[in-house]
Amino acid sequence: MQLDPSFIWTAFVQLLGAIPTTLSITVVSVSAGFLIGTVTALLRLYRVPVLSQIASAYVTFIRGTPMLTHLLLIYFGLPMIIDALAAQFGWSFRAVSIPMIGFAYISFSITAGAYMSEVVRAGIQAVDRGQLEAAQSVGMTQIQSLRRIVFPQALAAALPNLANSVIGMLHGSTLAFAVSVVDINAQAQIVASTNWKFFEAYLAAALIFWGLTVLIERAAALIEKRVGAYNRGGVA
Amino acid sequence: MIQLSKISKSFGRNPVLRDISLNVGTGEVVVILGASGSGKTTLLRCINYLEKPGSGEIAVGDLRVDCSRARRSDILRLRRKTAMVFQQYNLFRHKTALENVMEALLVVKKLPLAEARRRSVELLEKVGLGAKLDAYPSRLSGGQQQRVGIARALALEPEVILFDEPTSALDPELVGEVLEVIRAIAKEGITMIVVTHEMGFARDVANRVVFMDGGLIVEEGTPDEVFQRPREERTKQFLRRITPEANYSI
Repeated sequence: MQLDPSFIWTAFVQLLGAIPTTLSITVVSVSAGFLIGTVTALLRLYRVPVLSQIASAYVTFIRGTPMLTHLLLIYFGLPMIIDALAAQFGWSFRAVSIPMIGFAYISFSITAGAYMSEVVRAGIQAVDRGQLEAAQSVGMTQIQSLRRIVFPQALAAALPNLANSVIGMLHGSTLAFAVSVVDINAQAQIVASTNWKFFEAYLAAALIFWGLTVLIERAAALIEKRVGAYNRGGVA
Repeated sequence: MIQLSKISKSFGRNPVLRDISLNVGTGEVVVILGASGSGKTTLLRCINYLEKPGSGEIAVGDLRVDCSRARRSDILRLRRKTAMVFQQYNLFRHKTALENVMEALLVVKKLPLAEARRRSVELLEKVGLGAKLDAYPSRLSGGQQQRVGIARALALEPEVILFDEPTSALDPELVGEVLEVIRAIAKEGITMIVVTHEMGFARDVANRVVFMDGGLIVEEGTPDEVFQRPREERTKQFLRRITPEANYSI
């Protein structure tokens, strides 16, 4: 078997069409995961009765099981629940009408939420307690103090780890092939097997992922510079 | 007018404040002295509920709060009538000097931006930082940060400003500039409760000095009475330790 350099380009062009799928899974899972993660982190930090225990169980279960397993559990479990509920309450909605990518959105959001809750928690805990006290001392409510004083600083502290999560979810989105969603990697497999040129196709996929990752890194660096502008004169 | 009646507070099973009562009149400057662990900072922090008192009553102006059943809204109103200057400055790190002062005016008093800005600039000029409006705290010296902290406390026009060892974290050569600002606002008749170890400052700014030990007020009086003719043995001991006989011979 011989390397066919020109096929790398051919494959590359054919893979471009799958980029939106990969990106949409990444964007949805990261955005929803950030919301879930923030709520989970707050429930645990404030030790809200019952809910904080549920939040802890969620985080340890999800982090303790593989992302592919989450996808399969959602794919096979969710339709059972939905159809049972539909039968119970007489809805016309059936689980078969959920598009395949919907399962990827839901399950990866749940995955990302657990990991990001730890990122958000670390960020919030990195903010000095005195900041909250100062906000309270001038008469701001708890919500105002969190939103205007604590969160912006927590976000700045959490940014490098958040960028890591985004990259992790971008690469993890390849698992969606398991429920027949054609992302970049799955498209590479299709291109490869129809042309019998596996190495070239996967190399093209790798280049696209690398390119996307570099973009994310650049964007993160820019945001970090803006958000952390107040921080000059730290250890660095 | 501030009235503290029978304030008690324990950390776990360790009592730090035992039935403390203290009245501070409008325009009065009260300095609280005491060794570390005497409860002076805790008392100060109880006044604006950064520490939750176990029992007692706090009255600031026309607001009375019974500490055993204080509601969230009571605590918020209490905090809006008081302001605090912290030992570690605690400026909002992600906001410039100007934004630090404006924050509460915008969010708590809900002033329009231009009005909040005008008043904040005025206050920063008053503490000598008119040239540092757009500097982040990380770019300011300790003394400058603390002066921003004082401007932030003044912004809400509180009925009392609580100073928690405002110069303890400062390099010795920066202490003077901060004390000067505090002295200037004391002269304007703003009510102040100051926890400090600066004896010279206490002597010439305080109307009244309160000495605390073991969670109790041991002695109080004019600076003259407390410094020159202390009655209690514990006060005498403390003053001896904190103002040793000058003896710098080598």
